[in-house]
Amino acid sequence: MDKIRIGLFIPCYIDQFYPQVGIATFELLQKLDIEVVYPEKQTCCGQPLANSGAEKEAIPVYQNFVRNFSEFDYIVTPSGSCAYHVKEHYNILEQTEQVKRVRANIYELCEFITDILKIDDLKIDFPYKVGIHQSCHGLRGLKLGSSSELITTRYSKVHRLLEKANGIEIITLDREDECCGFGGTFSIFEPHVSVKMGKARISDHERNGAEIITATDMSCLMHLEGIIRRENKKIKVVHIAEILNNNRL
Amino acid sequence: MNRDNLLTAKDLIPEFIESLAHVGAEVIKLNGKDSVLAYISENYPECITFENKEIWEEYSFSCSKEKLEKLGTIQLEGRFGVAENGAIWLDDNCFPNRLLPFIAQKVIMLLDSGKIVKDMGEAYDCVNECGYGVFISGPSKTADIEQSLVFGAHGPESLLVFLY
Amino acid sequence: MKGHSYKAGIFLKDESRADWHDKTLWMVRQKRDKAARSVADWEDLRERASSIKEQVLSNLDFYLSEFEQRAVENGVKVHRASDAQEFNEIVYKIVTDNNAKLVVKSKSMLTEECGLNTFLEQRGLEVVDTDLGERIIQFRKEPPSHIVLPAIHLKKEEIGELFHEKLNTPKGMSDPVLLTSAARTHLREKFLSAGVAITGVNFAVAETGSVVVCTNEGNADMGVHAAPVQIHCMGIEKLVPQTRDLAVFTRLLARNATGQPITAYTSHYRKPKPRGEMHIVIVDNGRSDRLKSDIHRSSLKCIRCGACMNTCPVYRRSGGHSYGYLIPGPIGSILAPSYNIKKHTDLPFASSLCMSCSNVCPVKIDIHDQLYKWRQELSEKGAFSPVKGLVLKIAGFILSKSALYDFSGKVARVALKWLPRRMVYSKINVWGWERELPAVPQESFKKWYSKNSGKNNL
Repeated sequence: MDKIRIGLFIPCYIDQFYPQVGIATFELLQKLDIEVVYPEKQTCCGQPLANSGAEKEAIPVYQNFVRNFSEFDYIVTPSGSCAYHVKEHYNILEQTEQVKRVRANIYELCEFITDILKIDDLKIDFPYKVGIHQSCHGLRGLKLGSSSELITTRYSKVHRLLEKANGIEIITLDREDECCGFGGTFSIFEPHVSVKMGKARISDHERNGAEIITATDMSCLMHLEGIIRRENKKIKVVHIAEILNNNRL
Repeated sequence: MNRDNLLTAKDLIPEFIESLAHVGAEVIKLNGKDSVLAYISENYPECITFENKEIWEEYSFSCSKEKLEKLGTIQLEGRFGVAENGAIWLDDNCFPNRLLPFIAQKVIMLLDSGKIVKDMGEAYDCVNECGYGVFISGPSKTADIEQSLVFGAHGPESLLVFLY
Repeated sequence: MKGHSYKAGIFLKDESRADWHDKTLWMVRQKRDKAARSVADWEDLRERASSIKEQVLSNLDFYLSEFEQRAVENGVKVHRASDAQEFNEIVYKIVTDNNAKLVVKSKSMLTEECGLNTFLEQRGLEVVDTDLGERIIQFRKEPPSHIVLPAIHLKKEEIGELFHEKLNTPKGMSDPVLLTSAARTHLREKFLSAGVAITGVNFAVAETGSVVVCTNEGNADMGVHAAPVQIHCMGIEKLVPQTRDLAVFTRLLARNATGQPITAYTSHYRKPKPRGEMHIVIVDNGRSDRLKSDIHRSSLKCIRCGACMNTCPVYRRSGGHSYGYLIPGPIGSILAPSYNIKKHTDLPFASSLCMSCSNVCPVKIDIHDQLYKWRQELSEKGAFSPVKGLVLKIAGFILSKSALYDFSGKVARVALKWLPRRMVYSKINVWGWERELPAVPQESFKKWYSKNSGKNNL
């Protein structure tokens, strides 16, 4: 049988500021015996524009995305938020076969591993106390887990992957899935509330003994890291792709 | 209300009692209405009941508000209760004056333990046509000051339910 | 314009108070979760509630006329008001026709929306809000900061101080039990002397013509049954088709609002009391316009439980007054722009779009998506500053051209690396007020990939 061929989408801020997350994602997928292609003309999913109210201006960005990714079996990205944006908000494009394909086949990294590859145990080591920050768009948008507001069966794809890691201790948070306050351009339009939310998120992790905060979205972590570094805190942020790729800290 | 609609499953009584406690009502379960009435006349001799026609008339709509305001403890009988939330349905036929269940300081509520329904779904099947009706679940309460629960915001400070 | 962001900044200056506000409301959210979990078919109930409301909104004229007809048959006087002015005048006329000087009012967001109190007071009437929280903020001459918990922004010591001044309670008394008791005494006097009682409406049943009001304090009933004249004020969207439908909503409302299994009193007013007069005023005030909008009509399903406020991490950390609209929080942020798009441009942006609001909504309003759609609409209607519009246009252009994107990214990274810190962290760098920017890496992922992708084993 032919190898699964995926298009790797590396969100703009990861490309520019966190290449190690892109590299970890790329390496991990290759190890899983997948043909990974990174279309080099990709830019961004367009979410920063659309969330600012400039959905119309984002259309050429969306079109560029579709042009770059419509030929693959799946599109995989280390971001729940970008995947959700493509799925949910590319509805304003004309729904051509390519657009439909892209929207249907885009996956956040963890859900791609658990749902498409059907793998739970990646045989990794991570001997740290870890707090999982459930990024909102992954959790409530893509339903990577059950969100605390809904009265449904509890599950979490991210936990499923991480709890198999050797030596890991996943801590329980007081507020299991509260927003970190990043929210894209929200972090700029509402800096005070954004930072206050970030601080609360960090102290929840600290209070419960986490050494590492991980998440499916580097954007949340970028925001939290910004506060951690400003306040010289000890706790660290690590994107989940780096853990799943068995990177050493 | 058609009593035949109300086939209380025995196991609804504990749930109903638990719900009442949860909403801040006191509950006493006795065998038979007579023992309830005896209990009340012994322990709450000041309690006003509206069972006889004269008292009913005395407190009907022409009664002055000032007189009603002086009411201490009154006794009413509910039509049926709801297990999931401790609510008890009363309508215009349960009191001579709509203000009574609210203006009295303490309400003693009688309820036939054979008249308990499971939830609001069943409850609304039993609600009868009337000019005014109310589900009462526990005493009047507020938490408007720093979320501290206080009984007796405007209406009765306590609700005592007798199940028989 | 001093919008939500600015006011939130002020709210957050007193950090320990902001933490207290957050914790208090989070506690309400937790109570809600517990209550919701006690109901086996909770998610199914939400679905049913949503579809009942959908059915009503799709056939609103039918249900309105059925309701009106039944109510009239019940001996109720029904009035229709197309806007706030008309509403206020109708109520004023009823009050003066009955020679009443004192009006007691239980909670009604509609009367807040229409500015009824001010209207009546300007004409020499005394209006007393009887819900304890509402009375507190009425004394303080400020709007509610929450639709279910109007005085949630206040500490008991402040209320003690207020009652000392207004009700002559002993100075320094701040025990909620004693304060509540003082309010009880004060308000009982008002109940007994009021000529007219006004209530809001939680639900109006088309098939019976009755209105349902839910309170914990019993203040709606105290007012209605004591005063000779009762007026129930409702927006056109409050209808449900049948009495049976109330089962769905009464199971959801209090559990979702405060975590109670039901409010202490769920009152069904159908006919006037003997020798009494009962009025129902049905108000449109912009609702029909919203109904016509495919995008925004779902906000008309709202049953005003306030759960979206309690769960909203932004609301909890900015307080109700920072929204500058009488209904704060997520639901207020999607309602406000439909009343005044210019004034409330900031509100659809006062959200991180975390979607928690949509998940707790008992009638499944897609609040987060409404916020998103309002952002687009505001931009299309030119509500943004020209600078912001231009920046977004340029960004759109850059992000659609990969070469330009690569180039801009590189410029930014080089600039961040080499510019002195005081330039990078200047005042215009809002991100950097309280956060560090990410450390600048050697190269972008794209660069790394182009160097390494040729190798077979990475």
